[in-house]
Amino acid sequence: MPLAPVNTDVGIEQLTRDPYPIYRQMRRDTPVVRVEGVKRTFLTKAAHTRHVKDTPELFSSNDPNTPMQPAFRAHTLMRKDGTEHRRERMAMQMAYTPKVIKTNWAQIYRDITDDYLSRLKKGDTVDLFREICGPVSARILVHILGLDGATDEQMMRWSQELIDGAGNFGWDPELFRITDRANDEMDAHFGRLIGYHKANPNASALSLMVNAEDPIPDSQIYANMKIAIGGGINEPRDAMATIIYGLLTNPEQLEEVRRQDAWGMAFEEGVRWVAPIQLSSRLVLEDTEIGGFDIPKGDTVMTIQASANRDEDLFEDGENYVVFRDKNPHQAFGSGPHHCAGAHIARRTVGEIMIPTLFERFPNMSLPDPEAVRWRGFGFRGPVNLPVTLN
Amino acid sequence: MVKVTYIAADGTETIVDAREGDNVMQTALDNDVDGIVGECGGAMMCATCHCYVDEDWRDQTGARQAGEDDMLECAADEVKPSSRLSCQIRLTHAVDGLVVHLPRDQV
Repeated sequence: MPLAPVNTDVGIEQLTRDPYPIYRQMRRDTPVVRVEGVKRTFLTKAAHTRHVKDTPELFSSNDPNTPMQPAFRAHTLMRKDGTEHRRERMAMQMAYTPKVIKTNWAQIYRDITDDYLSRLKKGDTVDLFREICGPVSARILVHILGLDGATDEQMMRWSQELIDGAGNFGWDPELFRITDRANDEMDAHFGRLIGYHKANPNASALSLMVNAEDPIPDSQIYANMKIAIGGGINEPRDAMATIIYGLLTNPEQLEEVRRQDAWGMAFEEGVRWVAPIQLSSRLVLEDTEIGGFDIPKGDTVMTIQASANRDEDLFEDGENYVVFRDKNPHQAFGSGPHHCAGAHIARRTVGEIMIPTLFERFPNMSLPDPEAVRWRGFGFRGPVNLPVTLN
Repeated sequence: MVKVTYIAADGTETIVDAREGDNVMQTALDNDVDGIVGECGGAMMCATCHCYVDEDWRDQTGARQAGEDDMLECAADEVKPSSRLSCQIRLTHAVDGLVVHLPRDQV
């Protein structure tokens, strides 16, 4: 079979600005394509992305040559396979269950959301992205992880710096200097809290990990915490902003969501439409074939979930935000062993608490100028501002 | 072929002729049975394919697989002794006629 065609036109800058027209064209003309500007083989069809994620024995997460290792100062579970991955994942998974959220946290999350919303005034135009989406996500995560004492600003900065470092494929030393500082601060903060969590066992992730009967090594407890910080703020923040935008620009759908109390569907459609985590990389362990093309051992394939989520084979009118779909088999949370560990939390915090509480508090809020909303991101994507008039 | 009956939380029954060797989750997805999400594709990482094995079929479907107990803790709906992750139930002739009940919530 032939090798995948090569695309020399597309670069990271274009993909960061607006990848969707590019993905649409790729799905139609070159669904398996080597993109020189990113040095990856892009997979843009849902069947292919799912196949790769569901076949870890052929497509490995264990790629030691990514900037994640220096950025996190750890070989994290994101970059592991098999039993080692499962052990580290299950060490914290119990902190992220629907049951724990319902019994321990739901009321606290409602109170946090109310508290931040009560600082806003009716009639004002505010940037919800900056005032609500980020800080509420950060505050909630402090509780889930057991990071008492960390400020919203610290949490958001650590998260952003870890993400920037993990995406530092240009190996810019300045970015690693920044992640080094963030790692020092996080390590010190975790270290100060371990004694407290040992003395006061609770349902937070840090407490669960340090009090486990057979704990994973400290290095991996710290690595897990950093993965949760990197993955637990920007993603709910971006999901929330995307969903608010989707509902405010489609008032007839918002009306119907209210009538049917269908906030869960509004959430699913938001993360389908613009997946906060747009893609993943996998290292090819053996010569194989995808979609009629040879994929050689040693290649790195990029599964573009953002594109799979708009695949014409699965979705009608996939380019638009359409809440009331019969089926919504999106891959925003991925698939296979690395399926998002925070999926249940995201659905419950963003979908069941943050979004409905906001629309309840400001039932007539509006987006005066949708054109003013700027979207950005290749690996991670969402609006970067959301100027809404509250009413 | 192996026959499987899915009974939804509202009582709706769907009877499917499944391929031998497939699992109960994948069979539901392939046949558009509502009430099973199976988001992680059978990697035992999401607990969105939770089902209750009908009492008459618990012996034949056997015990939970290693790791299944932990992941069931993450299920959205009540976990009972009959709870299984349907991705871990393989369809063989021994379970021809299997009946599973689906929970109200998977996510």
